[in-house]
Amino acid sequence: MNTLRYGWRNLWRNSRRTCITLAAITLSTAILIASYGLMDGLMRHAVSNATNLVVGEVQVHAPGYRADHSIYKALTEPDLIFQAAKQKNVAAAPRRYGYGLVAVGTKSAGARFWGVDPASERTTFDLAQHLDQGRFLPETPQRGLVLGQKLARSLQAQIGSEIVVVVQAADGSLGNDLYTVMGVLKAAGDSIDRNAALIHATDFVELFVSGERIHEVALNSRGMVPLDKLTELLSIGAPEEEINSWRQLMPEVSDMVNLFDAFIWIFGLIFLLAAGMGVMNTMLMATYERIREFGILKALGATPWRIIRDVAAEAVVLAALGTVLGTILGLAGSYYLQEVGLDLSIFAGTYSVGGVAFDPIWRATISAKMVYIPVVLMLIIGLFASLYPAALAARLDPVKAIHRP
Amino acid sequence: MKTFLKMLMKTAYLTILVLVLLLNHAPTTAQEKPALTPKQILDKVDDLFRSSSSKGLATMTVTTAHWKRSLSLEMWSKGKNKSLVRILAPKKEKGTATLRSGNDIWNYLPKVKRVIKLPSSMMAASWMGSHFTNDDLVKESRMADDYTFQITFRGEREGQEIVEVTCHPKPDAAVVWGKVLVTAQIKDYLPLNVKYFDEDLRLARTMTFSDVAQLGGRRIPSLVSMVPKDKPEESTVISYKKMDFDIDLDNDFFSLRNLQR
Repeated sequence: MNTLRYGWRNLWRNSRRTCITLAAITLSTAILIASYGLMDGLMRHAVSNATNLVVGEVQVHAPGYRADHSIYKALTEPDLIFQAAKQKNVAAAPRRYGYGLVAVGTKSAGARFWGVDPASERTTFDLAQHLDQGRFLPETPQRGLVLGQKLARSLQAQIGSEIVVVVQAADGSLGNDLYTVMGVLKAAGDSIDRNAALIHATDFVELFVSGERIHEVALNSRGMVPLDKLTELLSIGAPEEEINSWRQLMPEVSDMVNLFDAFIWIFGLIFLLAAGMGVMNTMLMATYERIREFGILKALGATPWRIIRDVAAEAVVLAALGTVLGTILGLAGSYYLQEVGLDLSIFAGTYSVGGVAFDPIWRATISAKMVYIPVVLMLIIGLFASLYPAALAARLDPVKAIHRP
Repeated sequence: MKTFLKMLMKTAYLTILVLVLLLNHAPTTAQEKPALTPKQILDKVDDLFRSSSSKGLATMTVTTAHWKRSLSLEMWSKGKNKSLVRILAPKKEKGTATLRSGNDIWNYLPKVKRVIKLPSSMMAASWMGSHFTNDDLVKESRMADDYTFQITFRGEREGQEIVEVTCHPKPDAAVVWGKVLVTAQIKDYLPLNVKYFDEDLRLARTMTFSDVAQLGGRRIPSLVSMVPKDKPEESTVISYKKMDFDIDLDNDFFSLRNLQR
């Protein structure tokens, strides 16, 4: 304890130099914490935008369905999946898919029909709120249709437009009917924009004569259940089916997240190095300044170990003080960035990278990890930065040291 | 005894030889036809069911891994770019009609009483669930125009005298196939089969002609089947029940108005 007190006292023998170093450590820690929070915020925002919209965290399909999207490759026992999801209170949405033709007047286009359960889509995903015009499908089947943005544009369809729907039904017959456009989605990724036509599951079954077939169950816990827990739960609940996490379903988003992670580490390393240099410089200066003092201490019988301890303690006290102040400053900054965020709208409106939409306001997130990793690393760096000057001081020849000017 | 047998056998051989020569020779001299050029063979395949106009009745049976169904069709054509197909049965599709005029395909759906135009992106899609594509329906150009061709085989194969014409697409031709093989019988130059190869020259599907019958005053195959290579258990068979050629048909018959009739 005495050692730390000596360290604390020694620090204030040159308060200007200590303040400069303290400021360097404080700022580095604060910047590290805040930038980690920003990067993490961007990453989580990207992932939740990508998963909450429509994909979900995990999807279950019949084996091989994702390769050819055949209407005949349906889940064998979808109830097992719902049971598994219910255990952990994870919301799940069943979907049926089929291909066909949509036409208005002389305009026509190929479409992928989604037979959805509007109630579970509303509770599980954000797609039902992601509308450019009109409204989402009502909970009772009414031959209503919600179209992807580009599909609606190429058909020149308006809300209320009557659409002729022609499909190849599962029994080989020609399914056809009249539907009414109820809503048009906002941009939601290219494939949805180009060919999604959402209809009520009951209407889908009638149109496609597809019976009980369900092709996909998408699960979304909105981050409440860790991804590996969720996939584990399903592989036990529905071992026959193919289970994919969003990382497999959206490899481009997954790659982006990994890249962000790498960026955070590289930036962190650069800040740590800069701060470490500052601490080391202060320690070196402080040691040279006190060479005579160390010489006298040694002449009085201080062991080299004692001197190393004194110098290291000084550094640790300095680093501890710096990280505490830095954490306070960093958390305050992160809190501000979390609540208010950086407004990037002067540079771009809603932008999208790799099919993932981002808001123009960049917000940080606060987590324990973003505090303890910079703090621990900063303390270690402070300690190591002091070891070199400490070793120099410990090896001093007392006679030479005392006679130094 | 031995020599007698030998003599007997020699006479028998000779008699058979003479008989074979005679029998073989007689019909060939009587029916000798000039060998058709490859272009004529291709034209013959193209014109099999074509005329200045035609009307026909057929059954289309589609078999897939998941279902099998038969459609009764009534069809009309005029020139090389106008045709109309109407479904007579089953009940669910009754009245559904497809009109082709030039490069456009229109479908009339009686259930919703609407006519829709097929987008060009759906040309490669199946027609009414069959193994024929919409493009097969529209294709008006003649093989002899789109492909370079040559006879690659002439002689006996599987007990039939046949001629095989290999067609490669011309560089600027708007065709999807990498190669087409047409096999026809030499005796009447009726096609036996047409094999379609994809761009990597792998066999994609085989169209087979059989059951030659007298239809509308012509001797033509009454059964046309299409089998995809990747799903050999699937097929579409069109069986022609009745054909009339060179009948009186107004251009108006192939109008959108008549489609909705």
